[in-house]
Amino acid sequence: MPDEMILSLKKASLFRDLPETLLAALAEKVTTERLEPGQALFRKGDAGDALYVIDSGRVKIVSENAKGGQLVLNECGPGDAFGDMSLIDLEPRSASVIAITAAELLQLKRDDFLEVLEAEPSLALDIMRRFSARLRYNTTYIEKAIAWSQRIAEGDYSFADQIKAESEDAVSNEDKASQLLSAFFQLVQGVKGREDDLKQQLQKLTLEIDEVRRKQEFEELTSTDFYANLKAQAAKLRQQRLDNQ
Amino acid sequence: MGKIVSIHSFRGGTGKSNTTANLASQVALSGKRVGIVDTDIQSPGIHVLFGLDEKKMGKTLNDFLHGKCEIKDVALSIGEFAADSEGRAKLVGTNLWLIPSSIRGREISDVLRNGYDVNRLNEGLQTLLKVLDLDYLFIDTHPGLNEETLLSIAISDVLILILRPDQQDFQGTAVTVDIARSLDVPNLILVVNKALTRYDFDDIRRQVHEKFNAPVAGVMPLNEDLADMGSIDIFSLRYPDHPWSKALRGVAEAILAVK
Repeated sequence: MPDEMILSLKKASLFRDLPETLLAALAEKVTTERLEPGQALFRKGDAGDALYVIDSGRVKIVSENAKGGQLVLNECGPGDAFGDMSLIDLEPRSASVIAITAAELLQLKRDDFLEVLEAEPSLALDIMRRFSARLRYNTTYIEKAIAWSQRIAEGDYSFADQIKAESEDAVSNEDKASQLLSAFFQLVQGVKGREDDLKQQLQKLTLEIDEVRRKQEFEELTSTDFYANLKAQAAKLRQQRLDNQ
Repeated sequence: MGKIVSIHSFRGGTGKSNTTANLASQVALSGKRVGIVDTDIQSPGIHVLFGLDEKKMGKTLNDFLHGKCEIKDVALSIGEFAADSEGRAKLVGTNLWLIPSSIRGREISDVLRNGYDVNRLNEGLQTLLKVLDLDYLFIDTHPGLNEETLLSIAISDVLILILRPDQQDFQGTAVTVDIARSLDVPNLILVVNKALTRYDFDDIRRQVHEKFNAPVAGVMPLNEDLADMGSIDIFSLRYPDHPWSKALRGVAEAILAVK
């Protein structure tokens, strides 16, 4: 059982690369929480005091408004972890978690986590490294997003294929940076598609003048006596008008 | 001193009468004294846009050409009876006159059969400029190049050629441009009308400018709303924010900018 617990804890990105001894110490504190379909694990605004890894079943992460309306942010199944930040900070839950099916979740309470942390000072350093890495990772993508935004503004979409390749690599639900990337990819595809449509619609005309015909018609029109007379008088007519005023 | 502005197109259907009525109205709205002569005696039409019918019309250009009256007796002050539609109401108080052609079938066929004295037309235009103290006299011509249109081109200070962005109009306009240059017309302005909005207007403007080596004062979109309104009003006064109206005001400004 502890081995299974260790494997489950590794699903939480916070613990992914921790040494086995530390994971074993944490696994001893893990308890199990059972949910009936439709039952809430916690609600938005509740005190955040535990990390969860889904052992079996499915849950939905929803944002609820004051009138009881629900917006499903995500669905999670076995192996998915959430709430790791609540082990460190003291923020209330930012969303509600509700069971879709009957579900079993492994729970690690903050107090238990802090107890292990006190006994094993190296755990604190490991956790800090992970947060630092995550921060650095996210910062990299924010910088990329800034650079891409500038290129979109200039009408350069050539990087879109590159984003697609990268975003397909990153599949973790927890990986917000990769979600940003995939949203960015969709944005670029959408904008580029509409722009291509417009370009196609904005057709170019190619109009040519038949110069031989032009010359012929001009000669026909100007070869009459009327025209010769008019041309001779054109200047005089204008002058006459000036004199009249 | 008053300027003669002839509005011409090589083929019919370019929206010439509508454009003329709207341009003249815009120029009149800017405070200028403006006359419009409908020399399209074979198929007169501009009077309709100003809400005129046979009863209201009185004397016509035909009467003058046949020596039955003075040209000043034909001029109708639009500003005095314009308030009968939403757009035209804005013309109340402006100095705008219309010299209409007869819409009586017999008088039209008479002109078609016997023609008329272009010199008398010329004298009439000169007199109008003087007696009405006009800043601008707009001439709405019959399409194509016949004696009357050649005369109106020859005496114009500003010639506005309206063309649609199509092959036939391009070809015909090329000949008209050559004629205008041969007759030493001092100011030649091109206006593209009825451009389909899916085309690149900047590209059309550039092509027309390059092909004819003359300034393009506006590329106006095909205006379904104008067709929908029918010929019951002056479109750019009724719908001033419409893209067509905006492009048209650009052309009016080009006319006002001619020294």
